Amino acid sequence: MVTKTTKPIPSKTDKIEAGNLMEEVAEIFENCIQCGMCKSICPVFKILKEERVSARGHAILLSKKILDKALFECTLCKACEQKCPLDLKICDAVRKGREALVLKGKGLKSNEEMITNIRKTGNPFGKNIGDNPEKLYCC
Amino acid sequence: MNKNLMNVYGVDASKMKGTPLDVFLPETIDEVKRIVTTNKRICIRGGATGLAGGAVPENNVDVILDMSKLDKISNLSGEHRLVEIEAGVILDDLREYLYEFGLEFPVKPSSHMVCTIGGMIATDAVGNRAIKYGKTSHWIKWVEVIDCNGKLERKGITELSDYAGLEGITGVIVRACLKLSSVKTRTASLVKVGDLDDIVATVREYKRNTSVSMIEFLDKGISKKIGLEDTYHLIIEYEDDSGKFKGRDYDKLLAKRDEVYPLIASDGFVRIEDPKIMLDKFPKLMRWLEDRKIPTFGHIGVGIIHPCFDYNQEKCIPEMMKVVKRLGGAISGEHGIGILKKAFVEFNDKKILENVKKRTDTLSKFNMGKVI
Repeated sequence: MVTKTTKPIPSKTDKIEAGNLMEEVAEIFENCIQCGMCKSICPVFKILKEERVSARGHAILLSKKILDKALFECTLCKACEQKCPLDLKICDAVRKGREALVLKGKGLKSNEEMITNIRKTGNPFGKNIGDNPEKLYCC
Repeated sequence: MNKNLMNVYGVDASKMKGTPLDVFLPETIDEVKRIVTTNKRICIRGGATGLAGGAVPENNVDVILDMSKLDKISNLSGEHRLVEIEAGVILDDLREYLYEFGLEFPVKPSSHMVCTIGGMIATDAVGNRAIKYGKTSHWIKWVEVIDCNGKLERKGITELSDYAGLEGITGVIVRACLKLSSVKTRTASLVKVGDLDDIVATVREYKRNTSVSMIEFLDKGISKKIGLEDTYHLIIEYEDDSGKFKGRDYDKLLAKRDEVYPLIASDGFVRIEDPKIMLDKFPKLMRWLEDRKIPTFGHIGVGIIHPCFDYNQEKCIPEMMKVVKRLGGAISGEHGIGILKKAFVEFNDKKILENVKKRTDTLSKFNMGKVI
């Protein structure tokens, strides 16, 4: 059973919070020189070979305060941070970017479904799957 | 592609910006042909690690042809030491693949982790080991190029000069056959030099040693920045056991060298140049740069140095180019002309390039506004 979700309408506070997050994110990338070292180790880029989903791609978009669902394709593995010669906290920025997307009501439908299911049934599938698995909780 | 995401394809490592009209990511050579025939203005993009704006599109005019997905490696011949690759293959991926067979592609720019072979051919990349292995074009048997009419042609050594080093203004390089060498065990040494004139003598001495494959220069400020003593340093790479740094220590030292530019760029010295100068004129140019507090490093073995300028120092660049020309040097040793150095191209060189462009790209389609 998949629970239907309705798209949340962002409140004024959410919009302000998202704006603040974007300021923080843009600040993280203030010194980025786009050398592409982060891209060299990005596992997502290694497979898809598309700059838009690479660490540098996220850096370029977030430094311009552009939010896109491509942010959800990052694995948050922090490999890019290991390679970054400036020690930029790229994954922190991506996480904040995702937060801002959700606050603006532009999160992924599948994620919203999972959250609703966890809240209702304690698991992301929305099904009663027996006693064995531990129950998950979501805020 | 969604307009927001196109912003990603409007920049490269030069920090120049443009907005592409559209972005294409072909997976096959036939797709490249189709894209070439159906678009009027094309900006070709590889790893986008260029430092002269070569992969930056003109605002709302150029479409981006990103070659990253053309990444097949085929027909490796260990006996003849040849391999065929598509233009989007990343240099380190190729090195990793060849390592198993005891072979390597010896040209190695500092951006080896990200740069594509197509981009290396287009800029005729030089890299750290140029004193022993020369330029990328020295290691190419043939290239396959798509011209402005979408026709695929194979170009051998005699026609290579129309494509290698011309930064994609003459056609789209889609495949190439590379010559290979055997894998070497490498070691390195770090040499402290107190005086600029001593550097010339020291470099000359090391160049006589045939096992030396790399001589890199770091000025006082940069040496200090990467945790060395406040004096000039030379990194010498050997293709035998002569160096003090071996195994992991060697890897660490070279990784430190590769990160020099990003490190000083983080201090605001973002604009990097690549003049090439004769070794005996090097102290004169260095003194000029030191007087203006411009951090400098480079491949001193082949006379290419990388002065890095901050925002306020950028006005010194035309003056530096004049000094370089007066000393008999070249304005660009390896990064290419791109957009940034167009103004410094000599009149005669420009005429020659224009003629090559007219002959090869009759529809004025590729990388317009770059180089000439």
